[in-house]
Amino acid sequence: MTKHDSDTVAAIHHELHSHLPSEPALRTKALESLLVEKGMVDSATVDAWIEAYSEDIGPKNGARIVARFWVDAAFAGRLLEDAGEAIKELGYEHDHLIAVENTPQVHNIVVCTLCSCYPTPLLGMPPNWYKMAAYRARAVRDPRGVLDEFGVSLGPDVEIRIWDSTAEIRYIVIPQRPGGTEGWDEARLAGLVTRNAMIGTDRDLSAGIAGAD
Amino acid sequence: MDGIHDLGGREGFGKVEVDEPEEPFHAPWEARVRGLVNAMSRAPDWNLDWFRHCRELIEPSDYLSRPYFDQWVQTYCAMLVNSGYATVEEIASGKSTAVIEGLPAPTPAGAVKSARLGAKRYDSEIPESPAYTAGDAVRARAHGVSGHTRLPAYVRGRTGRITNHHGAHVLPDANAHGEKRHEHLYTVAFDAAELWAEAEGRRENVYLNLWESYLERT
Repeated sequence: MTKHDSDTVAAIHHELHSHLPSEPALRTKALESLLVEKGMVDSATVDAWIEAYSEDIGPKNGARIVARFWVDAAFAGRLLEDAGEAIKELGYEHDHLIAVENTPQVHNIVVCTLCSCYPTPLLGMPPNWYKMAAYRARAVRDPRGVLDEFGVSLGPDVEIRIWDSTAEIRYIVIPQRPGGTEGWDEARLAGLVTRNAMIGTDRDLSAGIAGAD
Repeated sequence: MDGIHDLGGREGFGKVEVDEPEEPFHAPWEARVRGLVNAMSRAPDWNLDWFRHCRELIEPSDYLSRPYFDQWVQTYCAMLVNSGYATVEEIASGKSTAVIEGLPAPTPAGAVKSARLGAKRYDSEIPESPAYTAGDAVRARAHGVSGHTRLPAYVRGRTGRITNHHGAHVLPDANAHGEKRHEHLYTVAFDAAELWAEAEGRRENVYLNLWESYLERT
């Protein structure tokens, strides 16, 4: 039985702080060796998950959703109504998902100020900056300053909606479809969609058009 | 808890390090940690909220300075020790001195199904009706609580408006401490000027998901 007690765990952290090797790779190796010896993990399963994160679970999944949104107005409506249900049409699953749409007058940006909540099944591993203090502290207070550091400059007339992921609900930002992409098929459009655009730290995707031709 | 993890609005952290390789992992050990956490046996009384709380309890200097996945290692080590599955000495040496009985077997490699990663519901029907509906003005509770909570300090005592009701979701404050119950969950929008003096006149709104007990009617 686990005793869910804060003070006990704080004391254990203190003890671990003095006894674990400092180097992260060594700590990781010690933990995996121990779990294998105890029969609590199969290293082949660890390998399988690493392969899945490197190949199947990544922002290309989110990009397919955005591209479908752009070309299929009925799908777009369903995605805004119930994103978790709508993405099943593309073979994805993510419960408690909300899609928020950028417009000329609205820009959306996602953060988790309390930890690092992120729609990993659709966007893959969160970038390091998403998990670090500077972004988590500033996205809710100085979003225009943060966006400026990402090269996104917004006029004062554009409303920013900041989504702090404090529960199990996850957000995906639907960026605007860039002009000059009329007649493009979904796969080509998906190639324009950046991971950062789906977090909200990228906005104008027209820069990718030249490269996609 | 009023911990170091509650970072919304804190100042002095400098610029965001935006230049970063696109690869999902930046070192082999990071990938190893991610895989290990998905693959390992879990105690039936562990849950996501308990994990989050155990991470919050990392020493503040470590929380701010050690790499992200290293904090996962530290957190799972603390959870293993706390639940009696390992000792600090075993973790430091990587050598087991006792076999643990009664834990579920770890998942075999063939059972890894990445497409199902996001399929997990946290909501449930409850008999109580929701206290608020979209459009209601609400104030976030002014006082923090010890133990785990998902009410960030930067909205406490501030007034916002309900934009959505999401049904009843597992309450982290109880779940992290071993009691699973559901409570109505809302999206609450706060005008940035209600949160930060310098935001007066800016077209910015901050949206949070807050449980019913975090809120009071204004």
